[in-house]
Amino acid sequence: MDVVAAFEEGLERGASEYRTAFEEAEDEQALRAANARFVGPSGALTRLMKRMRELPGERRKEFGQRSNQLKQEIAAAFHARLDGLAAAAREAELSGPHLDVSLPGRGRPVGRLHPLTQTKHDLLDVFVEMGFDVADGPEVEKHEYNFDKLGFPPDHPATDMQDTFFVASEGVESEARAVLLRTHTSTVQVREMLARKPPLAVVSAGATFRRDDDATHSPMFMQLEGFMVDDGITFAHLKGVLTHFLQRIFGRDLPVRFRPSYFPFVEPGGEVDMGCTICRRWQRGDAAGECRVCKGTGWIEILGCGMIHPVVFEHVGYDPERHTGFAFGLGVDRITMLRHGVPHLGLLYGNDPRFLNQF
Amino acid sequence: MLASHKWLEELTGLTLDVADVEARLTAAGIEVEGVTAMGEGLDGVVVGEVVSYRPHPERQKLRLVTVTDGSAEQEVVCGAPNVPEAGGRVLLAKLGAVLPGGFEIAERKLGGVVSRGMLCSETELQIGSDESGIVVLGDDIDAAPGTPAVAALDLHDTVYELGLTPNRPDCLGHVGIARELCALLGKPFTPPVPLSIPRVAPSGELLPQTESAFDLGLGSASSAHGADGLLPVRVEIDDPDRCPRYGAALVAGVTIGPSPFWLRYRLHVLGLRAISNVVDLTNLILLGWGHPIHAFDYDKVRGSMIRVRLAADGEAMHTLDGEERKLTADDLLICDGDGPVALAGVMGGGNSEIGDDTERVLIECAYFDPRSVRRTSKRTGLHTDSSHRFERGVDPNAVRQVLANAASAIAGLGGGTVVADALDVNPKPIAPETIEVRMARVEALLGTGYEPSLAERVLRGLGCDVQATKAGFGVTVPTHRPDIGREVDLIEELARVRGYDAIPTELPQIRPSEQGTPELIRFTRRLREAAARAGLTESVNYAFLATSDLKAAGVSERTVRIVNPLSEERSVMRTALLPGLSQNLQCAQRQQVKTFAHFELARVFSPRAGEQLPDEPHELGLLLWGDRAEWYGEGDELDFYDAKAALERTVHGLCGGRIETRLDDRLQADAPQLHPKRRARVWLDGHEIGVLGELHPETVERLDLLGRPIYGLIAVPALLEAVRAGGATQAHELPRFPAVTRDIAVEVDEALQAGEVAEALREAGGERAEQVKLFDVYRGDQVAAGHKSLAFRVTYRDRQETLTDKVVDKLHARVQKAAEQRFGASVRR
Repeated sequence: MDVVAAFEEGLERGASEYRTAFEEAEDEQALRAANARFVGPSGALTRLMKRMRELPGERRKEFGQRSNQLKQEIAAAFHARLDGLAAAAREAELSGPHLDVSLPGRGRPVGRLHPLTQTKHDLLDVFVEMGFDVADGPEVEKHEYNFDKLGFPPDHPATDMQDTFFVASEGVESEARAVLLRTHTSTVQVREMLARKPPLAVVSAGATFRRDDDATHSPMFMQLEGFMVDDGITFAHLKGVLTHFLQRIFGRDLPVRFRPSYFPFVEPGGEVDMGCTICRRWQRGDAAGECRVCKGTGWIEILGCGMIHPVVFEHVGYDPERHTGFAFGLGVDRITMLRHGVPHLGLLYGNDPRFLNQF
Repeated sequence: MLASHKWLEELTGLTLDVADVEARLTAAGIEVEGVTAMGEGLDGVVVGEVVSYRPHPERQKLRLVTVTDGSAEQEVVCGAPNVPEAGGRVLLAKLGAVLPGGFEIAERKLGGVVSRGMLCSETELQIGSDESGIVVLGDDIDAAPGTPAVAALDLHDTVYELGLTPNRPDCLGHVGIARELCALLGKPFTPPVPLSIPRVAPSGELLPQTESAFDLGLGSASSAHGADGLLPVRVEIDDPDRCPRYGAALVAGVTIGPSPFWLRYRLHVLGLRAISNVVDLTNLILLGWGHPIHAFDYDKVRGSMIRVRLAADGEAMHTLDGEERKLTADDLLICDGDGPVALAGVMGGGNSEIGDDTERVLIECAYFDPRSVRRTSKRTGLHTDSSHRFERGVDPNAVRQVLANAASAIAGLGGGTVVADALDVNPKPIAPETIEVRMARVEALLGTGYEPSLAERVLRGLGCDVQATKAGFGVTVPTHRPDIGREVDLIEELARVRGYDAIPTELPQIRPSEQGTPELIRFTRRLREAAARAGLTESVNYAFLATSDLKAAGVSERTVRIVNPLSEERSVMRTALLPGLSQNLQCAQRQQVKTFAHFELARVFSPRAGEQLPDEPHELGLLLWGDRAEWYGEGDELDFYDAKAALERTVHGLCGGRIETRLDDRLQADAPQLHPKRRARVWLDGHEIGVLGELHPETVERLDLLGRPIYGLIAVPALLEAVRAGGATQAHELPRFPAVTRDIAVEVDEALQAGEVAEALREAGGERAEQVKLFDVYRGDQVAAGHKSLAFRVTYRDRQETLTDKVVDKLHARVQKAAEQRFGASVRR
């Protein structure tokens, strides 16, 4: 067949076939294959156009134009069909079955801070925002810092409130009872006051130890202690700071009351009760009822506090006539249990992943 | 301390409201922890009069008693041995009555006879401790049949349970509580003189006056029942520091017998058992005055003398609880002419105890040094009502008053006579002190003003003597308040009695401090939070454990030991976190938990030579075991690399530094509890910070664990040092030119660590080799035995220009060559 006839036939065949071929293609891959049969590197039209030189000069222009026109037609049809297929595919996806959204999220599990730590951080943050520094001290402590400097009289029943673990270090000579596990974080008060000068506003939280082990006492427990010393600090300030603190943690409407109590290192000393956050009687306003936590009184004892005893100032070299200050302490364990409704102390120190992963 | 409402009313002379008493005492620091109504639940129990009784037809031990409640007679079956004769009065629970224990009285057949009611004992009505028989009313009870038991026996009372702080010994007796209540109510208070029914037989004979003798002031004299009419006792105090004051009185002609009901009942509501009239009265005096007294059988006191002296080391005595006590030279004894008769202030001796045949009672009322009593009490483990009060401090100047009350009460009840002159040996008088309270200081401390006239009234109400001074008041503090020793104590009294509610609530100005919070504290918090974000759950374990736990975990056994542990399980301070974490894991495995990934950040303890306090640095421990949590379904077992990733994520929560795990020769010494072939040193930017590895199979066995847990340990101070050395993260400009990647597979000896190869390749590529990343490890047919093929993808990039293929090819060829030369590796291209 001469070249002119071949062009005639080829262009005609191409023009008549590409539409059907594209329409028959049901997905992108088939469409691309069909497209390649016409305009791919070895497609029919491509092959034909490679023979353009063989055409007699006077027909070249004509066939050139017709070939290009067909090529453009094919390209347009290809893209139109491609768009059509994409639209159909999207339509199919949008109207098809739904993703199983009930499957679990993917990725590594999250970890958790222990509820005691979470509470400790929350409590510390309130004081830090008020301007308190955070401090820390050793858990194995000298008798001197735990008792003597705080004004505990020797052989006094006050130490019964704090039954003590005494320790001995292997290979270290030490007087009996000179070294112990701190029974409260008030040791930090002594250490900070010895190391620094007023003004001081310091809060400290950590492990403390007492020889008690029953349903409501753990031999190790977390305490938070704070104190402030400056010129002109009063009991009214003590009430202000602690009321603010408790209301920040438990809510602005929380009732708070101060009662006299005794701790050797404060005078006047006090205890703080807050409204029972379990039965919330102050919100209901009705008379006494049953409550497992406050036993129907509507109040929970939450803090010990007082004005720092002058004897403590004397022991750390401050002038009690000039400086005044307050100190307070509370159980992080107790607040944690109240906040999270932890039914018993054993859960807090059991470290069962099934418990910890609830928080 | 239990307190009787009725007794407080008697002492104050006031009609008190229970809720008011509760609120006022609590608001003043005498916390009322509980309130119990007594004499409740006795409806239907009345006085009955025995009309007659006869034996039970079938049961030998039972009797059929006909009683009348004044209006009707009924027959009840009674098994008690003490049914009185006709006319005797008993307590009858009528049909329908419900006894305090919940027992309902109904018609009951006992051995074929119907009983219509019940004659009751003290224990059945919960009004006493006598269960030997039914209650038979004595002549002291004036009540006709039919009178409700509650009215007949005056049973209604309310008992307050006081949570006393150790600074308030004055409230360990009803007189002190009554004084406190009056002060709070603004009412005057007069202590009872004497406390109880005086019935002193008159006698003409007088006793010789000695220096220590004094008149008990009971308004009558009596004959001394000693030879020659002398007060037949001599008191010698060897140690006036421990016994500054010792008083003694003698009551003669006493008949020991049961106490009247009112006394038995008062002791009962206050939690004590009635024993006999004399013993019961010493207890009543203790509960009334808060001052323990001791009653000796005078005729068992040998040599007619009392000597107060220290025990000899190893000296023994029998206390009246029947125990033999070994004493030390720190224990104070009360002795007679032959030896110990009491452990001073703690407990009497068996040899001088009051018995049924006691006729002459020698009463001791003394003041002992609180510290001395406390040490003896602690050492012997004898915590008694007496030691409890002495170690808190009784009033040394109440000796005569208490003695007079005790002697008159015992004589009154026991039918004896009081020897008028008593002894009061007082070698070291303790005088009340005078303290000035400045009103300006009151305001400075409380943050609010205080009306001077109110202050004066409050202090007087507490028993103080008050004189105005320029700045405030000179206050003479009575010796029943040993807790008040300086001005601030008086300020507390003022604040306390007025109530803390009167103090305003104010926020102070807090000045920022120069030093702020130390870095280590802020760092440990960030570290904890980073570990949790890295997927680890925090454990908080006890800081003490058993030595065997340390041994099992293969960690240091040089410990800080607890001298007085609660148990062997908690007797040494931890030297590492592994034992605690492994116990948590063991627990989790027993509870069928599938995945465990915990950390703990806490102090560990090791003794320091020559230092009183041990070293207690913070450590971060992590322990992983179980399924790697896959999307769903079961995952593979967590391994070294999961733990390494957790560690990397933790550290990357703090800094941008690079974590590496490397082999080194010291691991055998430093981490013997880890698998010898699966452990590494952890480095952060050139600083050693810890170890990481699978637990040694033997460790796993010893710790009673399952599977292959991986343990990591980071020394927090070293980590902080490394992070601090890295300084603040410095920003890099972002690359502007594209990267090109080329792969390389290197066949090397199995022993070679991939990291070493990667590092060598990166070095060979120069600074344009941006990253060398392992993407495949192949062992098998295509690779020689004992070898592995490591496939790396090298990323090349130039910061100044776009790399051409030609340049990259040249760089990559250099890398390939280095691999061949350095490791003798065959490189597959």
